[in-house]
Amino acid sequence: MLDETLTALADPTRRAILARLASGEARVTEVAKPFAISLNAVSKHIRMLEKGGLVRRRIAGRDHYLTLNPKGLDEAAQWIEEQRALWQWRLAELDRVLKENPNG
Amino acid sequence: MAEFSITHTYQAAPERVFDAWLNPAVARLFLFATPAGEMIRAEVDARVGGRFTFTDRRPDMGDVLHTGEYLEIDRPRRLVFTFGVPQFNPDMTTVELDFAPAANGGCQLTLTQRQVPDEWADRSKEGWTKITASLEGALEGKKAQAWA
Repeated sequence: MLDETLTALADPTRRAILARLASGEARVTEVAKPFAISLNAVSKHIRMLEKGGLVRRRIAGRDHYLTLNPKGLDEAAQWIEEQRALWQWRLAELDRVLKENPNG
Repeated sequence: MAEFSITHTYQAAPERVFDAWLNPAVARLFLFATPAGEMIRAEVDARVGGRFTFTDRRPDMGDVLHTGEYLEIDRPRRLVFTFGVPQFNPDMTTVELDFAPAANGGCQLTLTQRQVPDEWADRSKEGWTKITASLEGALEGKKAQAWA
């Protein structure tokens, strides 16, 4: 799931959709309106967000409503924190190496 | 959101900090290293379009290969490369390094990590398939090289 979540987040259109849904539930057609791409293309993006566990769909009659899944970001956020901590450790190691070898 | 930036200030000149990333004898001591791991392989082809391979031997996971390509080499200001860990993930990550002069002849390094955007992802996947295939042979029974 983590891979799908990170892939879902790696696109600006999808991040914009998430930002829109942060203000609350919306119909798919509403979400698609501001984008210059086709409804079909937006639907593909929405499916990737669903696959990534970030968005949930509720069907009422002919309308599809989307909501943000707040828990969906947790695993990704945790992974990012781990990556960040690992790189910070590596940058600190570089510091140590440079200090131990002033001429190297 | 799968992106972040961190900074670190060094008391060494930007040229020294920059060179550390491309010199395999130095890079193996920190780049793609982990606290419990041992870097058993570090190969660098330091040019734009050149590739690198770092293999970190970990107690829990065995040998973890990191490989990628240099996209920008602008010494001593900026270094950009992609990397992936083919055993676990066909996706690639981009790391951007910006080296700025800091007080007293030091260097402030900003590291930004990004996921490779969709439009490049398909090309990357194809590339990774080829890389993984050619690496299989290279991985079998190859001893770690000693770096001077």
